[in-house]
Amino acid sequence: MNLESLRRDIDRIDARILSLLDERLEKGLLTRRHKSGALDAGREAEVLERVAARSRCLAGEGFTAALYRRIMDESKAIQDRGLALIGFQGMHGAYGEAAARAWSPEAATMPFGEFSQVFDAVLAGDVDYGIVPVENTLGGVVGQVNSILVTTELRVAGAVDMAVSHCLLAAPGTDHRELRSVYSHGQALAQCRRFIERNGLEGVDWFDTAGAARMIAEERPKGAAAIASRFAAELYGLEIIKDGIQDSPNNRTRFFVLARADRLRDRVAPAGSAAGDACPAGDKCSAVFFADDKAGALFAVLEVFAEVPTEPGDYAIFIDFAGSDRDEAVIRALDRAGALARDFRLLGCYAERRL
Amino acid sequence: MKDLKLTGVRPDGARTVVEVGGIRIGEGFTVIAGPCAVESEDQLLRTAVAVKEAGATMLRGGAFKPRTSPYAFQGLGLKGLKILDKARRETGLPIVTEVIDTRDVSWVGEYADVLQIGARNMQNFSLLREAGKSGRPILLKRGMYSTLEEWLNCAEYILAEGNPDVILCERGIRSFETYTRNTLDLSIVPSVKATSHLPILVDPSHGTGVLGLIEPMSLAAVAAGADGLEIEVHIDPPAALSDKAQQLSPEAFARLMRKIATMRRTMDELAEEDRR
Repeated sequence: MNLESLRRDIDRIDARILSLLDERLEKGLLTRRHKSGALDAGREAEVLERVAARSRCLAGEGFTAALYRRIMDESKAIQDRGLALIGFQGMHGAYGEAAARAWSPEAATMPFGEFSQVFDAVLAGDVDYGIVPVENTLGGVVGQVNSILVTTELRVAGAVDMAVSHCLLAAPGTDHRELRSVYSHGQALAQCRRFIERNGLEGVDWFDTAGAARMIAEERPKGAAAIASRFAAELYGLEIIKDGIQDSPNNRTRFFVLARADRLRDRVAPAGSAAGDACPAGDKCSAVFFADDKAGALFAVLEVFAEVPTEPGDYAIFIDFAGSDRDEAVIRALDRAGALARDFRLLGCYAERRL
Repeated sequence: MKDLKLTGVRPDGARTVVEVGGIRIGEGFTVIAGPCAVESEDQLLRTAVAVKEAGATMLRGGAFKPRTSPYAFQGLGLKGLKILDKARRETGLPIVTEVIDTRDVSWVGEYADVLQIGARNMQNFSLLREAGKSGRPILLKRGMYSTLEEWLNCAEYILAEGNPDVILCERGIRSFETYTRNTLDLSIVPSVKATSHLPILVDPSHGTGVLGLIEPMSLAAVAAGADGLEIEVHIDPPAALSDKAQQLSPEAFARLMRKIATMRRTMDELAEEDRR
């Protein structure tokens, strides 16, 4: 035991405390759907009592009571701010979260384990929006997401087309020459294969890019680095050894921001309202439909969109095209397509941001 | 010279041209300029902009410094590499920086366009082998006690690993003279041309270590037929953390560049006369 290793332990513990604090404040935000106001005096007394009962070691009762009052005050203050909540899949620091923050810097981002949980949370009203990747320039369509999109009642409120720039991250003070292994999601490892080989590293498959970054921050394994976003580096206090390490410069992911149709309607400003209103007109539409299994059915529907250049795939067909649902020509095309196709649904008309 | 299988003169007389970020070393004239060491982002970026304006074609700057004393400034390491990367993005100048540790070769290669192997490491054979595998052009400085044959044999190590892009650089050798830091051996330039196909640059900053000698030796290097120069330039030489006495100010460097252009025109005229 020496000072250096003890301080490393303390850094590890601090990283965990900060992650847990965030998680606790998030759970507080999620409770708002289930109660009328932020303050619940009975619940606070219950928490303080339980904390007091456990304060038998160095963290004594006076200290823990004051600390928990402070935490609960902060939790109430955050709940009172009326933040919009955006659900994303993965751990904090995921590319989806970076896209969510770019789409709405003021919103609070909520992590979920699976894509389906993101959709469910939006449907249930636990969060206001959900952000999911729909396609990647290298990996193609995100199958899991697209299979849910076919049947979901949710609407597309916006889209973000984001450049994916992978960074090699290590705990502060790590000597880059000592690096031996690199942890990340299999897809990120594959996208940085040549970089990994050039520098004599060994790729280790991890469930998530951000999860790998968090593990490096919390466990600090010797000679190990992670591949994740710049945002993950900032979040977990990691040092960027090198950014932009992906082999292909054309690595982009397109995300959909989903919302409940009723919520979307609340926010949609009437047509013809002044510029700068809360919900300006979109300029891109996404729709999904089923084509009957007979010759020419698919073509008949697609023909409707002949003026709108696009690419088609018991096929549910997704179609994206440039145009606003407030434009007469688009409205007519949607009506005609609706009559020709089976279960034609406009997923949304939105503004797409390119990052 | 025997055993120079890869670095010796080719039967057809073809000379190697090393391509780096649109610059062709071995064709025309290359001037690599920049500070001895990367000291800060501000110092490097300001120097980079100034040398580019004066006409430099590449930027140098040490991130890992092999210093005579272990207590002298050792360089900024990885942080220095990131600053060099930023300077490249801002000026478009390709980056030349020294590598001194075999474990650093791949990492320096991630940031730099050309890896420099310094005089003190010229015969560090494991470093040469690693440099040969790096896939980056190598600027190989002449060791201060090395003969031409020893030097070319070191280049042979790099070529033998499959890396054809080696640029030689004369930086002065040790003699009994103490007025200058080293004795700049300009006779090596035509000697390299006669024995090898590799491009050769001259570093008058280390070659003399005396500010007032940099200009005459630069012009003499042009006259000797060098393919380029490597010159130390600092935005504020009196404040430099290393090699204070031999770094030019940007103004002095700009004056020198104008004279080099005149000298090159004169050399072109002489070559024209030879052809007639």
